Amino acid sequence: MSNREIVAESLVKSFGDFTAVDQVSFKVEAGEVFGFLGPNGAGKSTTVSMLTTLSLPTSGSATVGGYDVVHQASIVRRIAGVALQEIGLDPLMKSMELLTIQGQLFGMNRREAQNRAKELLAIVKLDEPKVIDRRVGKYSGGMRRRLDLALALVHRPQILFLDEPTTGLDPASRRDVWTEVRRLNREYGMTIFLTTQYLEEADELADRVAIIDKGRIAAQGKPAELKAALGGESINLTFENTGAAEEAQRELEGMVDRAQIDRNTLRLYRPKAAEVVPIVVSRLNARGLVPSALTLSQPTLDDVFLKVTGQRFTQETEPVEKSA
Amino acid sequence: MATTVNNPISTTARGMSFTPDAALPQMPFVLQVSAMTIRSLRIAFRVPAQIIPGLIISVFFLFVYTGTLGDASNFLPGLSGESYLGFILPLAVLSAALSGSGLAGDGIVRDIENGYFDKLILTPASRSALLLGHMIAGAMLLVMQCCIVVGVAFLMGFRPETGILGVLALIGFALLLGTAFAGFTVGVALITGSSGATQGATFLFFPLSFLTATFVPVNLLSGWIRTAAEYNPITYVLDATRTILNTGWDGEIVLRGLSSVALMGVVLFAFALYGLRVRTKRR
Repeated sequence: MSNREIVAESLVKSFGDFTAVDQVSFKVEAGEVFGFLGPNGAGKSTTVSMLTTLSLPTSGSATVGGYDVVHQASIVRRIAGVALQEIGLDPLMKSMELLTIQGQLFGMNRREAQNRAKELLAIVKLDEPKVIDRRVGKYSGGMRRRLDLALALVHRPQILFLDEPTTGLDPASRRDVWTEVRRLNREYGMTIFLTTQYLEEADELADRVAIIDKGRIAAQGKPAELKAALGGESINLTFENTGAAEEAQRELEGMVDRAQIDRNTLRLYRPKAAEVVPIVVSRLNARGLVPSALTLSQPTLDDVFLKVTGQRFTQETEPVEKSA
Repeated sequence: MATTVNNPISTTARGMSFTPDAALPQMPFVLQVSAMTIRSLRIAFRVPAQIIPGLIISVFFLFVYTGTLGDASNFLPGLSGESYLGFILPLAVLSAALSGSGLAGDGIVRDIENGYFDKLILTPASRSALLLGHMIAGAMLLVMQCCIVVGVAFLMGFRPETGILGVLALIGFALLLGTAFAGFTVGVALITGSSGATQGATFLFFPLSFLTATFVPVNLLSGWIRTAAEYNPITYVLDATRTILNTGWDGEIVLRGLSSVALMGVVLFAFALYGLRVRTKRR
């Protein structure tokens, strides 16, 4: 039986000169939902591909359920379920056919496989007679993702890999997937390794998170702890230009635990930040600095990302000054 | 519903839950192959546009060449007295077999292009079963096409010299040739993963079926085309099947045909297996 853990030790994957995954190490505990969070091109899918035995690490090692991904690949494939970002379904087939063959190839007899298929279709809500009769090529994106998830679950894996499970889905479908992921984890104790480019997804679902950027892990831990480490709430002051923000920073940084500039916005971090807003405003006024916007916010994983990589998670690639 | 950690997602029905142990029973190879074959046949019939063109070309051969050259054949030495239909039928059947062999390559390349192949790789399925499913389905479909071509010939008045046994021998040769050539299209499919390249490879049957004793016996050819025909393995298969249908069982000619197609089979199967290794090797 597997120990339902995932352990990566100094995993490296290089393609010629380019290193896609650079010394990645982590341990996912049994029954945990582990979020692998990073922008496009960070190395998430490459890492998943090594953990699911689809590709070989250049160096380093990993075990899934206690079995080595390189030398015990066939065992890993039996205990792990995989739903990749690229959904691989034959558009000419129907859902029962796909699920039944999957079950049979994993050693079930035809009857068992068919029953299992029906059970899974009910779970992912694809069991309407009209839908069952339809070829998979005619499914919507959300339906194909749900079927892909069902396929990953056929052989009752104890560990599930979900590579960007909600990318490209509408908000309603996305919530459905979240509900299902939580259910799989809570009711069945499945260890779930989830990669995502959506901060709120990692925040919502993951027990622990690893932030990956340019192939390296920038931070790891529970979302709440990572956010708390930023030093409480932040007061966000937007100015006309970076120069004004920097001036404001010089004026105010003695008052706070941490200050960080993000383009022309100054973020001041301290617990109970709301209490010092009046002081902040009056000090700025005394210097003739007038912010165009002032907001109070709870730290988000975006803030964590900004702190550990010096860049905003979303859009721009302009590097930003690291925090004081 | 049981929620023990050792048995996630147990079913509610009796006797259906099983532990996902690493020592899970394997699906027997024969059953794997038959499941993949049935699947391949099912989807082949969902795209009839795949099967029809090759069939039409072969029947076209029959009609047009017989119609055009049928009466002219009396002027060709060595053919007078023989039915030109009998001369051209083996060619039509063999070209049906060759174009039908493309189905195996097509099936594989489709799986690769839509990503289903990668999913199958992640199951305990034997790699060769993934291949054989498409190849056997392709073989069954090409036999069906050949039978149709033969049926049309019968309707046109053809009667084989060696009776039903001769017809079976013709289909048998077609099956062997088609399966051998399928090794080629499958190999290309696996190595390139591209439907364009695979269709191009399949279409090679076209020149192959012309660089042979297509319209006239080999001894009437001369120059470069004769050399080409002599090196083309199809020539010997064509020879063998023509003799069987029109003259009788000539041991030597039949044997030459058989060894020719066997040699093709061995080489092209090795190619297909090489392609399988290339495609499934982890990088």
